[in-house]
Amino acid sequence: MAGSKKVKVKMSQMAKREERWAWLFIAPPFIGFMCFMAYPIVFALIVSCSRWTGINSLWGNLVGLRNYIEIFQDAKFWKAMVTTIIYMIGIPIGMILGMTIAMGLNRGIPGKRLLTTMYYVPVVSSLVAVSILWAWVFNYDYGLLNGIYKALTGAHGPNWLGDEHMIKVSMIIFMVWKGLGSSIILYLAGLQNIPRDYYEAAEIDGASGWQRFRNITLPLLSPVTFYILITSLIGGFQVFVEVQVMAASGGPNYSAATVVFYLYEKAFTNGQLGYGSAIAVILAIIIFMITALNFWGQNKWVNTDI
Amino acid sequence: MKKKVLAMILALAMGTAALSGCQTVTTEEAGETSTEPAAETAAAETGSADSMKGNGDKTINVFLYMQEHEKEIYKGLIEEFVAEHKDEIKEVVFEVTTQDEYNTKMIANMTANDMPDVFYVGPAGVRSFVDNGYILPLDDYVDAETIGKIWGTTQSIYRYDGTNVGEGSLYALPKDLSCFAFAYNADLFDAAGLEYPDPEKPYTYDEFIEVCKALTIDKDGDGEIDQWGVANANQFGMTPYLYSNGVQFLSDDMTKVNVANNEALKNALEFYTNLTLDGLTPSVDQDTALGGYQRWLDGQIGFYACGTWDVAAFMDQATFPYKWNLCGWPVGPDGDGRSHTWMGSVGYCVSKTTENPDLCAELIAKLSTDEDGQKAVSGITTGNSIQLPNISDLAYGEFLDAVNEGKLPFPSNVRVLFGYFEGDEHYAAALQETDYTYNSEWFTPFWSGVQNIQRGNISVADFLTEVEPEMQKALDNAIELQNSATN
Repeated sequence: MAGSKKVKVKMSQMAKREERWAWLFIAPPFIGFMCFMAYPIVFALIVSCSRWTGINSLWGNLVGLRNYIEIFQDAKFWKAMVTTIIYMIGIPIGMILGMTIAMGLNRGIPGKRLLTTMYYVPVVSSLVAVSILWAWVFNYDYGLLNGIYKALTGAHGPNWLGDEHMIKVSMIIFMVWKGLGSSIILYLAGLQNIPRDYYEAAEIDGASGWQRFRNITLPLLSPVTFYILITSLIGGFQVFVEVQVMAASGGPNYSAATVVFYLYEKAFTNGQLGYGSAIAVILAIIIFMITALNFWGQNKWVNTDI
Repeated sequence: MKKKVLAMILALAMGTAALSGCQTVTTEEAGETSTEPAAETAAAETGSADSMKGNGDKTINVFLYMQEHEKEIYKGLIEEFVAEHKDEIKEVVFEVTTQDEYNTKMIANMTANDMPDVFYVGPAGVRSFVDNGYILPLDDYVDAETIGKIWGTTQSIYRYDGTNVGEGSLYALPKDLSCFAFAYNADLFDAAGLEYPDPEKPYTYDEFIEVCKALTIDKDGDGEIDQWGVANANQFGMTPYLYSNGVQFLSDDMTKVNVANNEALKNALEFYTNLTLDGLTPSVDQDTALGGYQRWLDGQIGFYACGTWDVAAFMDQATFPYKWNLCGWPVGPDGDGRSHTWMGSVGYCVSKTTENPDLCAELIAKLSTDEDGQKAVSGITTGNSIQLPNISDLAYGEFLDAVNEGKLPFPSNVRVLFGYFEGDEHYAAALQETDYTYNSEWFTPFWSGVQNIQRGNISVADFLTEVEPEMQKALDNAIELQNSATN
């Protein structure tokens, strides 16, 4: 009723006991969050406003926003940022390939389970191990790729990891290969959720294969596409291990280094923890903004009705 | 109720299992003064800690990094030390981790204000550690006789007077001293009919080029060079060529980068990059395919860098099945006529907050200069050399005898290393300039740009002009960080 006061109901003993147990169950993850997420985030924000090296005093070397100003004037930071964004060309490539392969697997072909497993193995493999493997695949003189290239053309293949442009191509190839299985599994699950009736009705209405794909498959897979896009963007901004393994010094003329690679170098190789923390904060803000933008834009293209 | 209790127990079990990976393995030694302690140390992948006990009331925490075979020797020395001071010492905890993790763990200790009593400091870290109040000056704790035993160079690299490293109070005693010497594949020399390099007379730049030309050949006749005179060994294998031409990157006070108008550097860098441009080393592309080190091990290279730590691997026939020996880096025309290289070291230091400075200082003196310990690590008694002796008399005496008599597998030209350590008429070594600055970031633009010269994309003169401002900016930053210490 309008104007009525909210009456506080006294909790029974049983309800109180239940509530205490509830708090007890919530406590470990909450404490874990505070210790391992909230506190480090706050600490990183403070460190980002200092010239802390780990050896000198943190509180005696607070410098306000100076690190942030220097980062925005740092050519190497921007070079790493551009490289990080270039690597994201692999995201649509991976999604298109993943969707295509998933559609093929969804046709009930023989060996579907085996093929699905094979595609997924790279996803669950150690990133360091496969990076080392691919460093040899890309090897200029002894690598598999240049071996095949020479067998087919008689000429020496490109320097996949030693040329400042080719190294980016190599990294994209590797990242697409690594993440393909994950896209395939998700798209396969999404395809299997689409009711057959829609395709049957469209066939009856005379829709072509492309029309069925464009008007049924694509829209109904949009939630999966959205999920893959978000997670790939977040992961793409944090690429580090593959660069460190395959291009230890950042590649020729620092052409392969990503933002996280630069952050690591600044913080742990050059002992500038404050500067590294500031890079981390900037990266976190960028990732947050891009994720928020995608969530805001999802209403325009993500179809959640089936 | 039962379900809730069961759920809590399961949750606790999961949490405990998740956190159990955080612990390090610790074992305790039984017995007090056993001369043959039966330690059962389980070396975890990320480190291990051993505890040696006495009857006293003082505890010392030692935190170092080293490999397993070194650890056994040093553990033995610590056990002896505990036995010698059993009435004073309650426990010495000897914690060892990997070199990769050491810095991170030390920073964590510094942040938590929980410093071990004895730990490592490199010459590059002495200034920071002292300025920030982490380490104790040893002048009142270590006698002149002990200091006098070690190589002259290591007596100075751990000194600091508050302004200059190399002078003032002593802050550490060396765990080891190493340098980056030069080696040649004697089998390739024999095949080419060349005389071996004379250790008493290092090549000049021009002589070196001629020898490399003779060693650079197409062995299998397929039209492609597959044996080279020399191979590049990253930035650490570049600087000896430059130092041997009298090059200094920085001003004497280490505040100004001087590369653009540095004639000695220009000449030396042209010499170095021309080795690649003229095909006497594998090309930059070939280097990315297979590094110089691998090619050297494969017998494709005539000359290659050899750190004191590489000797054991090169002496192992399974790893390097060729005859080889040490020689000097080639000498440029603009230097002092001697072959120069860089040296490195790590030292034991004592925490300023330790409650037992006398004992800790005595312990590090033992670890650094105990004669039996030095005989073990240098291989005089074990036949397997981990490092050269810290004690110069021992190096020139029993160590050299063991090498000459064939009891210790070591190249016969070991005096090349001694020459670099002590400096003589043919050889000299010094710390790299990056060891005198807070970090080596100022050197990175120089090294990463050298490949562009080696590819023929830019001339040396243009490169030096272009790179100087970026190097200076990074050096200014390093100086600011160095001066940010507060006590």
